Amino acid sequence: MMLPIPAIQALQVLTVAAAAPGVSGVIAKVEARLQGRRGPRVLQPYFDLAKLCRKEALAPVGASWFFLAAPLVAVTCYLTVPLLIPVLTGYPLPLGYMGDILGGGFILSLASFVVAVAALETGSPYAQMGSSRAKTFAAITEPVVLFVVFTVALITGTDLPYALAATVRSSAGQIVRPAHLLATAALFMVILYETGRIPVETHTGTNEFGMIEEARPFEHSGPYYALLKWGSAMKQLILFTILANVFLVPWGLAGTARPADVGLAIVALLGKAIGIGLAIAVIDNSFAKLRLFKITEFVAAAFLLSVLGVFTLYLGGG
Amino acid sequence: MAGAWLAVRHAPGALAVSGVPSVFNGSANAVAVVVLLLEFGMFRQALLRDQIRLYAAQSAAVSVLAVIVAAARHVPELYILAALSAALKVVIVPLVLRRLLRGAGEEIAGSGALSLATTVLLAIAVGAFGFFAVGTLGIAGVTLPQTALGLAMAVVLVSFVLMIVRRDVVSQAIGFFSLENGVSLAALVIAAHMPLILEVAFLFDLLVAVVVFGVLIRVHHGRAESLSTSELTRLRG
Repeated sequence: MMLPIPAIQALQVLTVAAAAPGVSGVIAKVEARLQGRRGPRVLQPYFDLAKLCRKEALAPVGASWFFLAAPLVAVTCYLTVPLLIPVLTGYPLPLGYMGDILGGGFILSLASFVVAVAALETGSPYAQMGSSRAKTFAAITEPVVLFVVFTVALITGTDLPYALAATVRSSAGQIVRPAHLLATAALFMVILYETGRIPVETHTGTNEFGMIEEARPFEHSGPYYALLKWGSAMKQLILFTILANVFLVPWGLAGTARPADVGLAIVALLGKAIGIGLAIAVIDNSFAKLRLFKITEFVAAAFLLSVLGVFTLYLGGG
Repeated sequence: MAGAWLAVRHAPGALAVSGVPSVFNGSANAVAVVVLLLEFGMFRQALLRDQIRLYAAQSAAVSVLAVIVAAARHVPELYILAALSAALKVVIVPLVLRRLLRGAGEEIAGSGALSLATTVLLAIAVGAFGFFAVGTLGIAGVTLPQTALGLAMAVVLVSFVLMIVRRDVVSQAIGFFSLENGVSLAALVIAAHMPLILEVAFLFDLLVAVVVFGVLIRVHHGRAESLSTSELTRLRG
């Protein structure tokens, strides 16, 4: 028996949407255990979302319709990206050709842009500060992402994520080549920035001075706030999926449309995402947060890695 | 229905457009990249002790590369060279430098002339120049791929940037020693079959440099009461 292809396509989106809060829950639990705390339940993010959905939604005086529309637009963007990347299958699904890595990146940026605009709508100083900082640093991480895409394009001749995953699987020579290692490391640093993890930002707590991404949804409440929280969990899982299924370990993806294979791929995806989450929890506990103006140094390091990746490829040996 | 979509699936081999390096070339290049990255790491280190540690790690990476070449290309002399350079550059030179530092009693390197992010961008530009300059020469050694040569050139140029930007004698000395690491990386690429006696002679060259820099650090610290060179602005006849 084979699953129909559109069903697998829908399953990619559903997996990301349903599993994302759980992955956040696991990371929070592990982080707490590493600090000697008992930590919240793994399912706590789901309970938080359910609680927020029952609460009343308020909007600041003077905010336009955009303030309430932004969370919906952002979640729609996050639900679109899993169509473009290899979440469950090693073979390209029909809608996978809708956009390449850059297209996926644009959709992710659009989501973060509408959230930033909604934060500006509020007139609240913290939310505005968060959105201005988020856009400032996004402008300097964007070149890193571009160079990672260039690396992928030079290696595969396309910039389809499916193609790179297939190339990495094809031989051991592809894994140890420096361009691949450098691009992977640079992407990992970008993910640390994008998910608001420790060298850049404290993920939990209410230290407003260091806040970047976390400060933006301050004024949202009720179901809209739930959508934003859920969206940021999905963004995290999407980025983990890109790192694992395209760069780091593109194995364990379903090769056929059989339900057993696809089910196994779901389990493998969650395993890989939790594995990356563990690494991030360890980083969270072993480093101090960088001062705001030192973040440029962090980004400069990521930029160095991605540029070196392109250089080594350009000389034909990388 | 499913079969039709599965037929779209790419043959993995057909996707690899740029040539795939062999596992040996790939890992050799990866080690060479590590050498260059450690060179960049030296910009970041504010503590002189950590900078010496990075230099030791970089020298260890060069020795590892020598061992990889020796094993894969069957050049047994390189094992001896790797052992000698590891003993000298990973153990003895850092020890001597640490002893000198203990005498000077300073721990923190003077801040650079430029901010860190600017320095790194500048060094990327300079390294890129070296990279592509070597690329146009078209030199290909028998033992190591051309990329490693470009990387070696980049190490040499980036260590120049380190020496220029930093304003203390110890960082400049370490920049000079890591320049030597870049040169030995280049030697491994082009002339792995060079007679052992020549390679050992180069190592002794380094020893001389260490002695000279040791004297320089001592004399400078004795006169200026600091390791910083920012006071040295006037020419004397």
